[in-house]
Formats: sequence, structure tokens, C-alpha cells
Amino acid sequence: MTTAAPSPGPAGTSAPATALTLIIPPRPRGRWKPWVAVAVVLVITLITFSPQWGIAFSFEAIARNWQNGAGKIALLLVPDWSFFPRTIPPLIETLQMAVIATAMGAIISLPLSLWAARLTNPHPVLRGVVRTVLNIVRAVPELLYAAILVAMVGVGALPGIIALVLFNVGIIVKLVSEAIESNDAGPLEAARAAGGTGAQVNRAAALPDVWPAFANQSLYVLELNVRASTVLGLVGAGGLGLLIDAVRTFYRYDQLSLIILEILVVVVVIDVISSTIRKRLV
Amino acid sequence: MSIPAPSAAAGATTPAAASWAISMRDLTVRYGNGVTALKNVSLDIAAGEMVSVVGLSGSGKSSLIRTINGLVPVTSGSLTVGNRDLATTRGRDLRALRGGIGMIFQSFNLAGRASVLDNVLVGRLAHTPTWRTLLGLHRPAEKQLAFEALESVGILGKCWDRASSLSGGQQQRVAIARALTQQPQLMLADEPVASLDPPTAHAVMNDLRRINRTLGITVITNVHLMDLARTYTTRMIGLRAGEVVYDGPAASATDADFEAIYGRSIAPEDVLGE
Repeated sequence: MTTAAPSPGPAGTSAPATALTLIIPPRPRGRWKPWVAVAVVLVITLITFSPQWGIAFSFEAIARNWQNGAGKIALLLVPDWSFFPRTIPPLIETLQMAVIATAMGAIISLPLSLWAARLTNPHPVLRGVVRTVLNIVRAVPELLYAAILVAMVGVGALPGIIALVLFNVGIIVKLVSEAIESNDAGPLEAARAAGGTGAQVNRAAALPDVWPAFANQSLYVLELNVRASTVLGLVGAGGLGLLIDAVRTFYRYDQLSLIILEILVVVVVIDVISSTIRKRLV
Repeated sequence: MSIPAPSAAAGATTPAAASWAISMRDLTVRYGNGVTALKNVSLDIAAGEMVSVVGLSGSGKSSLIRTINGLVPVTSGSLTVGNRDLATTRGRDLRALRGGIGMIFQSFNLAGRASVLDNVLVGRLAHTPTWRTLLGLHRPAEKQLAFEALESVGILGKCWDRASSLSGGQQQRVAIARALTQQPQLMLADEPVASLDPPTAHAVMNDLRRINRTLGITVITNVHLMDLARTYTTRMIGLRAGEVVYDGPAASATDADFEAIYGRSIAPEDVLGE
């Protein structure tokens, strides 16, 4: 900051510090601000732990109750391998739900992403409507979607898929439209100058630079879907979740642990595949 | 590519059907933030002229160029381009007008991940139904126009490459091809060589002069370098703080004229050199 190194001024090396009068600009004010921010975060965190105002976090309760779960953990450590054949059909159903929901969610999300970004939708009212609707879609948990949809269309994979599509659209549109905002406006200006309509400008000039973010987030959502579709079954929306619910009711934690292992393997495999694809996308 | 359509023969190499003239009367442009970019500018540019607009950054050069194709709206006064009044032209008519005006930018403004050909085809947007653009279905005749435009700037061989893989000079040639594919009646260039090295800058200015001479298209280009204005253009308009302070032949503009436009003495960086 304050040039401790010898300054290569006109004085050169022959005349040291005495010949130079350094005019150091005054320190900028407001350097205390980050520390205040840290202090505020700390205080809020402590308040949330306190029994009066917060969640009443207590180590004592953990110490008192942990043994209740210890037996279950012991069972989880010994998977029931003979259960494997019965897990295959629901596992495949889970994967099918994830893939179908990702594909449908991605297709619906592409135009919505363009409409939700300022760069590709200069109309403030239209953009506001799209964003508000998506905020609402995102605010509802996918489990709630699934529970309502099971009541509406019946038990099975279909309500699960619809719930996942809604969940995916919320995520993809949010992340992709934010990525679009940081794209270069130049190509769009050129297409507008050539006489293109709004839709033409977006298709010909904006879309080519949107693909990487779009593909990236769609792959990310595929991973989320595999995880989420295991939970959706708890409310009857198909996939491994139905099986999880069944074995959990009978306290078969050895079978549950096998299912968890399978989910782990599938998630890792999908993660490896999608990260390989993402590297090629750059 | 496929069979060249008969109409495609009338490609980028034939003279423009009718080059456009421009007329400004007391044209004023003020932005939403209160900045006045142009003050009472009155100019007449005849069809087929090769005009340079000179001035420091912030003098209103860019606003002048962008007002001509409606990227910047007219605040007051009148601006007529090819018999159309910009102050009242909107929607479909404005897009049709823009379709006749090619534009080249300092930063090329190509979609980096799209192919060179797809970028050049952006020049046909005003003549293409929206559904065709959305589906990416280009007519063979349009492709033929794009290929001819790329050939005329000497980079047809790169047509399948990704635009971002090209050098700056090549990208600006793609941008020129994009403008030529419009079969324009008027060509605007906003600092077309400011991001290029000297030899490439001369090549691009040569391309612009060739477009003006062989196709008869009106060309208006912003430059901030004295020698480029003198060498490549026939008429020079000097802008200072949004007002026209010089309007005359470019070749005979003296250093004193430039000093008056810039409002300061000439510096070495005002000349590009060879």
C-alpha cells in the first residue's frame, strides 16, 4: 500500500528517502464496517440458540436422548443384502421419474428463463409476473406438491413426476436467468440493429450463449431429482420412497440401509457422469 | 451448400437497389439520466456518401450513429432516414427500416458460441419470419447470401467455426459480413477499428471504403483517429459536447481543425500510423 519498496522516481537509486516526499493518500473511511457485519451475524446466531427467543439448542438433551437412536444406527450398519432384488423395480422407477422430470422441467424452463431475465426480456411488467409466479412455485416444498398431487391424480409415479417438474422449473429458471444477466448484451444489440423481433433476437443472439448455463443447471437438477424422488414416495408419489416408507414402518433398518446405499451409489454415478459432461461444456 | 436459388445471384456483390440519404433538423437526444448527447444537430448526408464522425469520447458520436437506426430514441427535432421519420417509426416499420441499415460495432458483438454462419445469418432477421428463426430453419437463398458475404470479406473458410475462436480482425470481418447479408442501403460503424491492431484496422477501413465505392452504399463511421478519417472518408463531421463543430471534406482537414474538434492540442495517440 504505502510503497515500502524504493520508488523508481527521477531521484533513482542515488538519492534515497530524503529526496522523496511521498504524498500518501488518506486512508479510506469506513474500514470498521466488515467487523460490525461479522458482529451482527454472531449476535443473531447466539440469539437463535437461546431458549427464550430461539430454537433452545441444548447439548444436555442430546446427551440424554442419543441412546434412543443408537440401536437403529447399529442395525443400519448391517445391510440386509438378500433384500436387494426387491429394491430393483422401485430404484428403476425412481431413476425414470428423475429423468422424465428433468427433461420436462428443462423444456418448460428454457423460455421462462429468457422471460425472467432483464437482458432477454426488457418488458418490466411481463418480467415481474414471470418472476413472481416462479417465486411462489419455489416457495412450496416439493413434498407438499406431491402430497396434494397424490390426492388429485392418485398414488404412483405420475404425481411424483409433476411435483419434481414444478420443483425443477423453480430452480432452473432462477439459476439460468441469473446466468443470462451476466451475459454480454452486445450480440443482442447487433441482432436488434439488424431488425429482429424480440423473439428473434433471443433465439439468434442470446440463446447460443445461454446453452452452457442451461445444460449445467439441468444436470444439477437431475442429481437433485434422484435424491428428492426417494423422499416423494413417503407421501405415495412413487419410486424408492414407497419402499422406504414400508420398511421403516416395520423397523427394518437393515433393509433401509441397503436402500440408502443404493441411493448413494446412484447419486455418485450421476455426479461423475454430469461433471464429465460439464467439463466438456466449458 | 445445397442448390443456390436464382435470386441468390443478386447477392452481396451487386450494387444496392437504392442507397439512403439522411436528414437531421434540430435533432436533440437526451437520455433518461438527464445527459444531453446531441444538441440541435442539423445535417444532410446524401446517398452514397462516405462520412466519418470525429470527436472525443462522450462527444455524442455513438449517440448520433445509434439514433439513425433507432437504437437510441429521438428526443426532439426530426431525423429522416430513407424517407422515413425516425421520431414516429415504431414496431414493424422500425424493424423494416433497421433491416436496411447494417451496423458494425467496436466490440464486434458476435454470439461467441454460435458458428460464424449463424452469426452472419443474424443479418437476415428482418427478412425472416419469426417461426423460421425460432426453429433455426434458414432458407437456402439466405444461406447463399451469407456465404457470398463471407466470401467478399475473405473468410468463407471459417464459416463453420465458432465465432469466439476467431481473431479480433476476423471477428470484425464476420460482423461486416453480417451487415452485408442485410443487403443494406446504409452502413453504420461505431468505432469499428478501435479494438484492432494497426494493419487489421487498415484492412477493415479498406473493406468499408470498398463497400461504399463498389456497392454505392452510404457509410457513416465513427473514428477518433485523424489519419483514418482523412484517408478513408470523403466527408468529416466533427462533434464536440453534442454539437457539430466541423463539417467539411475529410482529406483536407488540418491539424488545427482537429484541435478545434478535440478542444486540445494534437497528441501522438490521435494517429494510427501504418
